[in-house]
Amino acid sequence: MTETFATIDVNTFRAQAREWIRANLEPRSANQNDDHHDLTTEDISVARRLQRKLFDAGFAGITYPAAYGGRDLTAAHEQAFNEEAADFLTPNFGAAGIVTFGPIGRSLIAHATPEFLRRRMPRLLSGEELWCQFYSEPEAGSDLAGVRTRATRDGDQWILNGSKIWSSGAHLADWAMCLARTDWDVPKHRGLTWFALPTDTKGVTVRQIKQINGNAEFCEEFLDDVVVTDADLIGEVNRGWTVTQTMLVHERATAEHGRLVIEPRDLAPDLVALARRVGRLTDPLVRQAIARAHTNDFAQFHLGRAMADRLRAQAEPDHAVAAYPKLAVGTYKPVRARLALEIGGSATIAFDDGSAIARQPMLDYLECRVQSIAAGTNEMQRNGIGERILGLPREPSFDTTKPFNDVLRQSREWSGKVN
Amino acid sequence: METDVTDDQRALLEVSSRFMTDTCPLVAVREGAWRDVGFAATYRRQAAELGWFSMLVPEALGGGNVSGYGVLDAALVAYRRGRALQPGSFVGTNVVAYAIAEEGSEWARTTVLPALLSGEAPASWAVDAPGYRLDAGVDARVLDDGGVVLTGTKRAVQDVEEASWLLVTCSTGSGATQLLIRADSPGVTITELGTLDLSRRYFEVTFDGAKVDAAAVVGTPGAGDDLITRQLAIATTLVAAEMVGAMDQDFATTVQYAKDRIAFGRPIGSFQGIKHQLADTSLALEMSKAITVAAARAVDHDDFGPSAASMAKAFVGEAGVDLVQTCFQVYGGIGYTWEHDQHLYLRRITTDAGLFGDANWHREHLCQLAGI
Repeated sequence: MTETFATIDVNTFRAQAREWIRANLEPRSANQNDDHHDLTTEDISVARRLQRKLFDAGFAGITYPAAYGGRDLTAAHEQAFNEEAADFLTPNFGAAGIVTFGPIGRSLIAHATPEFLRRRMPRLLSGEELWCQFYSEPEAGSDLAGVRTRATRDGDQWILNGSKIWSSGAHLADWAMCLARTDWDVPKHRGLTWFALPTDTKGVTVRQIKQINGNAEFCEEFLDDVVVTDADLIGEVNRGWTVTQTMLVHERATAEHGRLVIEPRDLAPDLVALARRVGRLTDPLVRQAIARAHTNDFAQFHLGRAMADRLRAQAEPDHAVAAYPKLAVGTYKPVRARLALEIGGSATIAFDDGSAIARQPMLDYLECRVQSIAAGTNEMQRNGIGERILGLPREPSFDTTKPFNDVLRQSREWSGKVN
Repeated sequence: METDVTDDQRALLEVSSRFMTDTCPLVAVREGAWRDVGFAATYRRQAAELGWFSMLVPEALGGGNVSGYGVLDAALVAYRRGRALQPGSFVGTNVVAYAIAEEGSEWARTTVLPALLSGEAPASWAVDAPGYRLDAGVDARVLDDGGVVLTGTKRAVQDVEEASWLLVTCSTGSGATQLLIRADSPGVTITELGTLDLSRRYFEVTFDGAKVDAAAVVGTPGAGDDLITRQLAIATTLVAAEMVGAMDQDFATTVQYAKDRIAFGRPIGSFQGIKHQLADTSLALEMSKAITVAAARAVDHDDFGPSAASMAKAFVGEAGVDLVQTCFQVYGGIGYTWEHDQHLYLRRITTDAGLFGDANWHREHLCQLAGI
């Protein structure tokens, strides 16, 4: 059926999309927003049926290769579809969808074998198979190349043992991309390999993690003698860091989600409403807090725009500048959350359950460190800005040239002395 | 700051920078050569030839700018001026020229304005006031013939000389009035103040029954608030742009120092204790550039200008002081010496943070503009 989808210009595509969307999708009502929190398996079934509908009509995987179920069209086509579909109900897979159609899909296209892609990609794009990442570990976050999940060769198969954490939507996913160490006697970046495996494989235990806000979007996994075959290798053995770099680029693009798209002109409406509700709108300190939060929002918005302009103006885009908006969110979200609590005063620490206006600051406060930690901590962004933009020299490294086994052993005897 | 400049803007900036380097390099700033009235007059005339004082005035009145967006052009020049810590009343003269072009009398447009545009005379905006109201400090009594008598004091008026035109923002009791008066007029006393800034001069201006004709009034007596708001948006945007220039320069030399200075066997910039401070400062600097350009565009384009300008002044004001403090700390003891240039930036930027309203003032202003 892919042959019937010839390349078409954006406007024609937009017109086709509009016609199809109006005939086939339900309008989104005001109270139906894409809530990424705590989707049920029921929600996922609904999303799968909807995704199948898009796929059959040629509106799924718009920018993916036609050979694997996509359309071979451009980001502009996808943007046109998204704009046309903005007021309609589209498949909501929550975080699992963002991971599946973003970092996972892109990394698979770049590094999996054609045979693997023919088998799995159409199912991925049609929503039949959702994916997740078995990526960070309890002892490997910022230092991702230090993962300790072990993959051991056993005849013509691999045996995986270890544990993973912070896997968005893993409890809803069908497949996982798993990063494991296949060689312990080489430096850390050179002994890594990626594997694909179904999440219901024998030996895989997926457990949801309850967050401080009461939701459970992430999971932890335990891998006990999990068997994977060569057919499900992604990329080459011991060359996994290359795949990781592809994934990190697309992760960062994902982290851009939730950035303000419209210039914030109205003085922080949520904070003004909060101050009004608690009767403190004339308090000079409260007014300072409102104006400070809004000014930071405004500066952040224009920083994002300036960085996008800078990337566009460069012949060879230097993606290191993406660290600026990331660090800005990670820096100013916590500031804003604290300002809201100061404005709300006691009303935001003890409140009627029905009072969303007073309750929201508490939820924002609990959430405000997500972006200063997830997808690259503030400290990693500061290293990126310091080294790649300002050109400051790196810290001395103790682990990039030694065999990983030695690194682990020596780190336990860390004395601060360098020989 | 200069990502999107046009070819014409680029040409203006290049010739402006060359003029600054040739006429008033940092050593001349430091030694105070610019304090000489003759030096200042020559500097001003040459700057005027580059169009420095014409950008906010329509062509019909003898003004003009290279891009059609005068505030943006002026902000770009201000940024270059800040980088080189240039002296002189750039912001003041531009704001006064703008006010005259907008609401000045025929006399002001034909007599005062040409002198400002040509660099023959400098101008300063006498606006600094205690508290929130900008018309405080000087009382204006309107006479039957439309003339006005002034009594009171304005402080921190920048770069006044005897030949300066002062735009005085004063109160008639019922509202704000603005008028033009020469600094050497009878009843006007100017007293130079001690200052933190070593690259510009500040004065206290006292009015003791000084009288002007009706033609000296800019706008309608007692109804000046709207024009004052727009003047303030321009002044704060240009001061923010000068600050960003000075911040950019101070930061660049500090980063270089962090690469050059060796301690504990390696460049100090390799330590995360230094590197992370510089990265945070770099973020604040990039946000300062972005918000300043946004403010300049907003002031040029639409009614949102005053809010955007106040946000820029509030943000850059605090980011600037943070920046010079961080740079000071990275330099260590050398930054405490008179001989090193760091303190020139520290002084200039900290002073700019307080000019035309500090961060707290502008946050309150932002609330009032939003109607809360």
